[in-house]
Amino acid sequence: MDRRDFVKAGGVLLAGTTCAYGLPLLSAYSLSTPSPEGSSGKRKWGMVIDVRNCSEGCNACSEACHKEHNITSRGEKDWDIHLIRRVTVKRKYPAGAAAIAEPLSVPLLCNHCDDPPCVQACPVQATFKRDDGIVLVDHHRCIGCRYCMIACPYNARHFNFKENEEWANKNYTRSTHGVPQSCNFCAARIRKWRKRVEEDPEVLKREPEPVPACVEACEKQALASGKKKALTFGNLNDPDSDVSKLIADNPARGIREDLGTKPKVFYIGL
Amino acid sequence: MKLNQVLGNRTIAIVVAVSALIILFPLGYSVVGVAFSPPRPFLEKPDEKHENCVRDTSYMRFHHMDLLKELREEAVREGKGGEISVNSCRECHTSRKQFCNQCHNAVNLYVDCFGCHYYPLEDER
Repeated sequence: MDRRDFVKAGGVLLAGTTCAYGLPLLSAYSLSTPSPEGSSGKRKWGMVIDVRNCSEGCNACSEACHKEHNITSRGEKDWDIHLIRRVTVKRKYPAGAAAIAEPLSVPLLCNHCDDPPCVQACPVQATFKRDDGIVLVDHHRCIGCRYCMIACPYNARHFNFKENEEWANKNYTRSTHGVPQSCNFCAARIRKWRKRVEEDPEVLKREPEPVPACVEACEKQALASGKKKALTFGNLNDPDSDVSKLIADNPARGIREDLGTKPKVFYIGL
Repeated sequence: MKLNQVLGNRTIAIVVAVSALIILFPLGYSVVGVAFSPPRPFLEKPDEKHENCVRDTSYMRFHHMDLLKELREEAVREGKGGEISVNSCRECHTSRKQFCNQCHNAVNLYVDCFGCHYYPLEDER
């Protein structure tokens, strides 16, 4: 073999190796790249909050949530944790507008971002985003470093500095101290519903989709007072769902969409 | 100069004997002394409604932690299942003191489940 043949053979070998190793890598890359819209046919849970219907003084959503998740409200601002909390917002801009002077009461919760900063910050992958778009804390893995709380631009995470006292809902867990907690869109309810759908697909047609405790309480409160409900929960991927219709018909926006976190909690009238 | 010229034969013999005693102590202790006997758990039989556990008794005895971990990962990370959990242990074995702590205290293993999951120490029924 002369020098020329040797170089040729080497080139062929190199090309062959590149193909052999490169093709699986390429195919793996294209398979593992997640689409931000979620694969079609899958559910993506989201919430729409109509601030115009949210009446001041009503705290039904927060109370129902605390009851469901066994959270103790001590009335101490520094220690209390809120998975959903209501803040009063005053509009300052544009300056001098008289019509927007009255303060708005806005419920705030975890936005379940499509591109969540808390998931990126977590060093042990205790915070994760599920297939259906819900961002959860796995308390079994959490080491309590609180990086997620720093990363969250919405201040949605709260740290359990103290042990919770009440345990009203015995089949549901009660967080210990040392782990952060945020809204989980009542993942346990969704899991139970999913289980029933798997056993009997007819459940899908027969019954409405599951809603978190706050939405349930809001509906109840709205029925009692004869007003429209403020919170709506549903599948964002389904164009016929209540949330999708509300988003299509009204100017709905997420909070701080400019940050690029793609929140899945939308506000109308904010 | 040799060692026995410096220390003397008697000193060397004592040092060797003492070191041998120290080195062989654990072996002798486990043979002669009180050996650790594994706990024989006494479990009250659950009522007639719950005849069988979710798996075989022998499997549950040795691999309950694997099963719990597997089911936990499935329920928390994937959002599936969830029908078997610590809550379903509680349905039959009503007292945590008898069911969990009997063995775990004997082998000095701390289980970190019950800060968050409800399981009463004594039978509440």
